[in-house]
Amino acid sequence: MMSVGRVAQLAATSQIVPSFLRPLIPPIAQKADKLIVQENEIAKTHYSLSKQLANLKLAVSASRSLAGTQQTRCAHTDIRIPDFSEYRRTDNKSNRKSEDSNLMRGRAFTYLLVGSGGIAAAYSGKAIVHQFVSSMSASADVLAMAKIDIKLGDIPEGKHVTFKWRGKPLFVRHRTAEEIESEKSVNLAELRDPQHDDDRVQKSEWLVILGVCTHLGCVPIANAGDYGGYYCPCHGSHYDCSGRIRKGPAPLNLEVPFYEFTDDETLVVG
Amino acid sequence: MGVNTVSIATKIYQTLFRRTSTFALTIVVGTLFFERAFDEGTGYIFDRINAGKQYKDLKKQLELRAAKEE
Repeated sequence: MMSVGRVAQLAATSQIVPSFLRPLIPPIAQKADKLIVQENEIAKTHYSLSKQLANLKLAVSASRSLAGTQQTRCAHTDIRIPDFSEYRRTDNKSNRKSEDSNLMRGRAFTYLLVGSGGIAAAYSGKAIVHQFVSSMSASADVLAMAKIDIKLGDIPEGKHVTFKWRGKPLFVRHRTAEEIESEKSVNLAELRDPQHDDDRVQKSEWLVILGVCTHLGCVPIANAGDYGGYYCPCHGSHYDCSGRIRKGPAPLNLEVPFYEFTDDETLVVG
Repeated sequence: MGVNTVSIATKIYQTLFRRTSTFALTIVVGTLFFERAFDEGTGYIFDRINAGKQYKDLKKQLELRAAKEE
């Protein structure tokens, strides 16, 4: 802005050119009874705001030289400053309140809105992901078949029972005291797949193994073979009463599935 | 809004929203609580609308009937 003194000083050297901006309120003929006044348009877009700004034609030129115009200065005094009050928060319009407190309230509200949007987005995102991931997991009917309950009271000592579990034969053997003792005293050095009997059973009386020969997957015969445990008829693998490979082509001991005793009478495999 | 509310808003802004890291953390923690509240709330509404129709409601009746027959 020019100060008054400055303007007076400039007057000698400058020539003020009137604004080329069209006035916003055109002159009105007063003949009519009704006075029609075109209301001042409220500028709501950047385009309408920009129309209120001065363009390059509006200028003060100073020339006293032979060469013509030397200086071009923008005239500020007759430019209307665009009104931004449409964009301002109502709280901020008052000039009696501290601006900081108003700003802070506005900011907190804005961030609160964004934050709640974020929470909603995170919640729905999680729901969608959960739906897709859970569709990959096993369905209820598959899960129902995945476990088998075995009543241990039905298996007398020294007997072996075969169950079907997940499409495979499951051997449950109620071992006698002799069998337990002989299996526990086996020298690990002479085993092909060294594993102590304690590592293969949870309760010494109960041997729970998968009846699939580790050689080529035949089903071994119980209470047969050189070691009194299991014997595979396909290629002659001998397993002992702990399901360990002792003789024949099979490389590994019979597999022990995951199982637990829910109480003294019930065994749950799977 | 009084002075007190403004100061609370200021405090919340300063502690939670000012840094992007705490803002993100606020969203994550807020989601935990929101999820719980939303699920419980919608579940409660669903149960109230379908009261007496669901298996958990029928189960009680069936148990009662079985107890009477015995």
